[in-house]
This record gives sequence, structure tokens and C-alpha cells, in this order.
Amino acid sequence: MADVVLDGVEKRFGDVCAVAGIDLAIKDQEFLILVGPSGCGKTTTLRMIAGLEEVTSGDIRIGGRSITHLPPRDRDIAMVFQSYALYPHMNVARNLSFSLRLRRTRKEEIERRVAEVAAILGLTEHLHRKPRQLSGGQRQRVAVGAALCRQAGVLLFDEPLSNLDAKLRVHMRTELKRLHQKVKSTMIYVTHDQVEAMTMGDRIVIMNAGRICQIGTPVEVYDRPATRFVGGFIGSPPMNFFDGEIAGNGREPSVRLAGDLVLPLSRADLGDSPGRRVVLGIRPEHISAAPSGRPLSDLAWAAVGHPARVPVVIEVVEPLGHRAVITARSPAGSFQMETEIHAGLRPHEAVDLWFDMNRAYLFDPETERAI
Amino acid sequence: MNASESPPIAAPASAAGAGRLRLFDREAPLGYALVLPAVLYLLLFIAYPFLMSIGMSFTDAQAGNRRWTFVGPVNYSKVESYEIRANDFVLASGLTESAARTMAREKGDARIVTEPAAAEYRAILDVGGRRIPLLQLPKEDDAAFLGGTIAGDLDWRVDRESGGTYRLVAHASDAPVTVGSFPNRAALERERKEALLIPARTEIRTNGKGVLQDPNFRLALKNTFQYTFGTEAIKLLLGVPCALLLHRRFGGRRLLRGLIVIPWVIPIALSAQGWLWILDSTYSVINWCLVHWGILSPGRIINFRGDKNWAMLSVIAVNVWRGFPFTTIVILAGLTAIPDEILERARLDGANALQRFVHVISPMIRPILLVSLLFSVIFSFTDFNTIWIITKGGPYDQTQVLSTYAYQIGVNAGYLGKGAAISLFMFPLTAVMVFFMLRFLRREA
Repeated sequence: MADVVLDGVEKRFGDVCAVAGIDLAIKDQEFLILVGPSGCGKTTTLRMIAGLEEVTSGDIRIGGRSITHLPPRDRDIAMVFQSYALYPHMNVARNLSFSLRLRRTRKEEIERRVAEVAAILGLTEHLHRKPRQLSGGQRQRVAVGAALCRQAGVLLFDEPLSNLDAKLRVHMRTELKRLHQKVKSTMIYVTHDQVEAMTMGDRIVIMNAGRICQIGTPVEVYDRPATRFVGGFIGSPPMNFFDGEIAGNGREPSVRLAGDLVLPLSRADLGDSPGRRVVLGIRPEHISAAPSGRPLSDLAWAAVGHPARVPVVIEVVEPLGHRAVITARSPAGSFQMETEIHAGLRPHEAVDLWFDMNRAYLFDPETERAI
Repeated sequence: MNASESPPIAAPASAAGAGRLRLFDREAPLGYALVLPAVLYLLLFIAYPFLMSIGMSFTDAQAGNRRWTFVGPVNYSKVESYEIRANDFVLASGLTESAARTMAREKGDARIVTEPAAAEYRAILDVGGRRIPLLQLPKEDDAAFLGGTIAGDLDWRVDRESGGTYRLVAHASDAPVTVGSFPNRAALERERKEALLIPARTEIRTNGKGVLQDPNFRLALKNTFQYTFGTEAIKLLLGVPCALLLHRRFGGRRLLRGLIVIPWVIPIALSAQGWLWILDSTYSVINWCLVHWGILSPGRIINFRGDKNWAMLSVIAVNVWRGFPFTTIVILAGLTAIPDEILERARLDGANALQRFVHVISPMIRPILLVSLLFSVIFSFTDFNTIWIITKGGPYDQTQVLSTYAYQIGVNAGYLGKGAAISLFMFPLTAVMVFFMLRFLRREA
């Protein structure tokens, strides 16, 4: 059993608090993603689990055993580094087996494991090459293989895909996910890329400023962001935010944005707090277009559950292929939406857009928590 | 913008076909002009002296002599005669210890008799009734004289043999017995077979004017290798730990990194003056300290520059002191180039500090280490300053290296041709070293 428990783990560098007391329980054989912007403490957290950073206070346990003060080699962990950290003077086979050779594993056992790992990762015909003779993707696989060879209970990944080109990254994402199903190890994976986080993880831990903002499955953190930060971080293009205040009465609550734009809310639990300051969040994919003067088609109506009309002027159209990202200026401020590429919107055009208020979020402007 | 106006960028390109560009607008002549000083420098100060000294080494050039005549390779090699140098004459073997000792004691009564043998004369040692044939030479006087040397002048020693028996050996402690001289190799070989009648350790000495026949040249060559590789070994032994130390993070690291290069950057002519004082025969601070701490008695102070055993160590010490900062800085650069992640991975893989050094750090700094070694081997091999300032090659040529010997012969003694020949010997030697190091380096990379 290789479940990992972080108990009030804190890391300070002098006066700077990198990780501010996080509690986290990672289940055995789970694929957990630590995601957040740079400097949020996710890599520091990983390095503390690895034993490369001292823990200032708190306790880390793997399989129920406290490892907080153990040296890295006694922790039953293996790690894949961002730069792959391959030994340039060793060929692939020796890179894979280095940790086993240090542990004086039997020769046949080493050969068996290297052959097995090489077969899983498709490295068999490269075993006698040096790292510099390999492509970026192959080096990446060697780095993963070196970690797998250890057969450690916990595998740590520190942004392993960020040095690959976009196409290879998508491919390796799938490969790593497949690998996780094959290898019975707990995997903890650090990334700053929310797409990687969403596509790969069993659960996602979103961190910001040394704290955990939310822990949940990809669907949970997308559908129910706990804070304004999570809402803005997960999803691409990011969620739009508008400052406003609650208006209307208990039965028909609404939110008043800048420019006296009043949008009806589809919730009944806010009526007793008119005048309360809120932040309205809505994702670009939950905004629909209908050209000015023409009614929305039935199909478009069906997509928008609780539509609210917002008059805008189109500023920028960025075609992505099947979709287009449109930046529009409304009385409440500029925002982005995503639409079909053939929606027929052109810059400088004045149109009405429709917010799906069923999918809108409200956040408290002070605590930034979801309301 | 008027469409009929041609864009200014295109103008030179289209004009190039029709007419030539102005000189200063073309790039190639500028390039040659910039390279010219370097080419002139190489021709004047590298190529010309090098070719000149090659030419001079084939002449009888002497200081003060205006006419140089071509003499062929005599400066390199010119054999005039051969000699046999013999030592450790086995007078008797297969003896019991007491028999051998008895014979050794009878040395005082030993006599040499000569008798004619096949148109030559044979010297026979008569000791305790035993007749031991020693030498057979054309002249009776020579046979009697050399026989008398072995019988009387050499030390007789009792040695234990491998079979448990004992033998009696006549040993020359200062100079071996010389037989010769012979005009050519054939005469030498004939005599070597026929002249010595008892087993002895022999070597052939070639006499002549060329550098290859000069025993001092051979000594200088040996000293050069000793000096170079002694220096390099110690430099590495000091440089690696220093670099590892300076690689760690600690307060004052930048200051120390700056200070460590001082020996390397101050001119050797200045720093060697300090060393002259440190190694002074009378006022040496090292001696003062050793005496002061009670390690040495005042009567037995070390003569660093005058004692033949200490002189080489002293010049090596000065060269190490001067050269190890360079080695340290180069290794430090190599260490800095190792990504932190690789060392972290090695820790996770379970390598302790020693294993990290052996399996990860040293293979990774090996290429840059070799480059630094290449440089400093060449610098040490051709080093003149350090030795000239500290010992001038002395005492008794014990620190004479090729560069100082070439200077002694070529400039001080005025035999320009021979001096040139000595200094040119360094060229193929360094070329071979460079060749092997570069090949090793290429295989590493």
C-alpha cells in the first residue's frame, strides 16, 4: 500500500512561505495532479515528498510510515524530472538500471526489469544509445523508464511534458495515462498546464500562493469551482468575471453589473441580500451568439438554458478551426466567448449575446469563495 | 507610398549584376582586412622563428660566428664512438654462505695475472687458489689495469641467490668500469662477446656531439617528464577538492573564488621572488617554522634549492602553487555545468556522496578536465620561467628541463644550432601528447 498523507506540511525559505500548511490524502494507486501557476508551491510540495527539500513543519507518511526525516533513497519513491535528468555518459540501459545497480540488485533481476520497462516504453532498440542520440520524446520515455525500474510505490512527476513540443505532449499525455493503468503505483504529477491536469488526473489539487484551493475530480473542479481562482484557472479560454451587486427581490433575484446591465439569476437562495457585492463568473463556452435583430434559432435556445441578453460590440475574432474565440465589449466590460466558427460575427458589429445563467457562478469579492 | 518607387533595400542587389559595389560596401575585403593582423602576427612571430630554428638546428651556428654552414643532422645525432660500461661482475656463484664470505675476506690477497690467449691477453683473478678468468683484451696493459680495478678498486659483495646459494659480486658504487672506445657498433658487439669473460651487467654508452648522445640531454628529458607529470598529478589532487569546496554554498564563496586565482594572475617573475625567499638556503621561513616547532634541529635545515632531492620538489611545488588555480577554476566550471536535477536524481536513485562523485560527477567533468589537463601539460612541459628563476636548472642539472637546457646550450654557451635542436625536441613530444589527449577527448564526447 502506497497511500501518501501530507499532514500540515509547511515549507519556509527564510521569511518566504512557499507552502503554507497543506493537508492532503492521496489514495493508493491514484493519479493525482498538483496544478497551479508558477510559484504556487506545487513543485516544492513534490520535492518535499521526494526528500529533496526539508519539511519546515508537518508530517509526510507513505503507506502509514512517516518519511519526513528519511533520506530520499529510503522513501520508496521515484521521480521524473522536468529536464529528464538523464546521465549523459551512460547509455539507455545503464540509465534505466543505475538505481538498481546502486542497490546491488542481482544481475539477472536488473536485466529482466530493464527489458520489461524497455518493452513497455518502446525503448528496446535504443538500449545502447547515449541520451544525446535520442529525440526529446525518447529521452522523456527513458526518464520515465528510469523511475519505473525502481518499482517504487510512489512515482513523482515534475512537469515532465513541458519540454516537449505540443504534438508530442498530447501523445505522451495518453501514454502516461495508459502507463498508470498498467503500473500499480501511486502517481503524483505536478503541472502548470490545466489541460494536462484535466485530461490526466483521477483527482486534481489546485494550489495558489502555497495553499490548496480545491481538491476534486476534473468534472467537479470544472463544474463547481470552490473559489474565483479555481474558476479562472480551470478552463480555456478562462472564465469571465464581472463585478456587480445583487438586485431584484427574493422571488426573481438578479445581478446588476456596471453599465446598469441587469441579468436575472436562476437561484432562489440570494433574494434576502439585495445590494450585496458579488463577482459574476461565466465561462466563454456558456455564452451564445445571435446576430442583432434576428431571433435566436431553436437549436441555440436549447443550448442556452436560462438566457440573459447582453448587448455587445464585437472587438476581435480569433478562429481556432472548429471554434472561434471572440472578444466582445459590453457595458459591463470586455469579455471572451467561444462560438462556432461560422457564427458570422465580424469585428465592430453590434450584436446581442446570451449568457446561460444556469451555468453562471457567483463569488464573494472579499473571500473569493463561491456563493 | 508610391508604388512606382522601388524599395531602397532592393537597389544594391539589382545593381550588383550591372556594376561593382564600392569597396567599403563589400564585406569580403573587410573580412580579409580584419584577419590580416592576425595572419601577419602568426607569420612573423610563430611561423618565422619556428622555421628559422628548424633551419638553424641543421647548421653549426654559434654566437658571434657570422657564417653558418649546413652540417646536416649532427646537432641531433652524431655518433663518434661506443663504450661498454660494465658493473656487478659475478666473480663466483653457487657458493655456500661461508665459502662466499671466505672468498670476500681474501680480497686483500687476490692477484691479477695476465697470460696470452689467441693473440690477445687474458686477465685472470687468482683468489685463494681459485683462478677466475675476467677479461680478454688486445693489449696486456689494458687487461692488467681493468683486471686490477675489478680485483682491487671495486667493492666485493656477498649476495643471496634465488636457489638459496650465495655469490660474490664486484660492484662499482660510483662509476662503472668502461671498456672501449670502439669506432663502430660491429667492433663493439664483437668485443662485448669476447672481452668480458664473467657475467656482468653491461650497457652501451654512445659518445658523440649530437643531442641524442648527450647524457645531460637525457637527464633534462627525464626531468621534464618528472616535472610535468608530477605537477599535473598534484594539481589534480589539489584542484578537484578545491573545486568541490568552492562549488558548495557558503558565506564568502565569491571572495574566495576571486582570491584563489591570484597565484595564477600575478606574474611569475614577481611571485617567484617570494618563493626564492621561502626556499632560501639560509633564511627559509619553512626551515624557520620547522625548527621553531621542534621538528628539525637547527643543524639539519633543508637546502631546498641546493639539495638534489629537494630541488625538483621545490620547483614542482612552485609550479603547482601557480597552476592549480587554473585547474580549480576549470573543474569548477565543469561542476557548475552539471544540472542540479541530475545530482538530485542521483540522490533519489540512492547514491551517497562518494557514489555521486564517482558515477556522476567525475564522468561528467571528465571532458573539461581533459581540456584543462591538455593546456597545463603543455604549459608545464614548456615551462622555463619557474625553473629559471628558482634553480636555473641546478643543482648539478637535477632540475634541468628541456627549455632551460636549450637556453643553457643555445644562448649561454652559444651553440645556437644545438640549442635549436634541443628545443625542437619538444615539438614532436608535445604533438604526440596533444594527439592522444584529443583522441581520448573525441571518444569521450
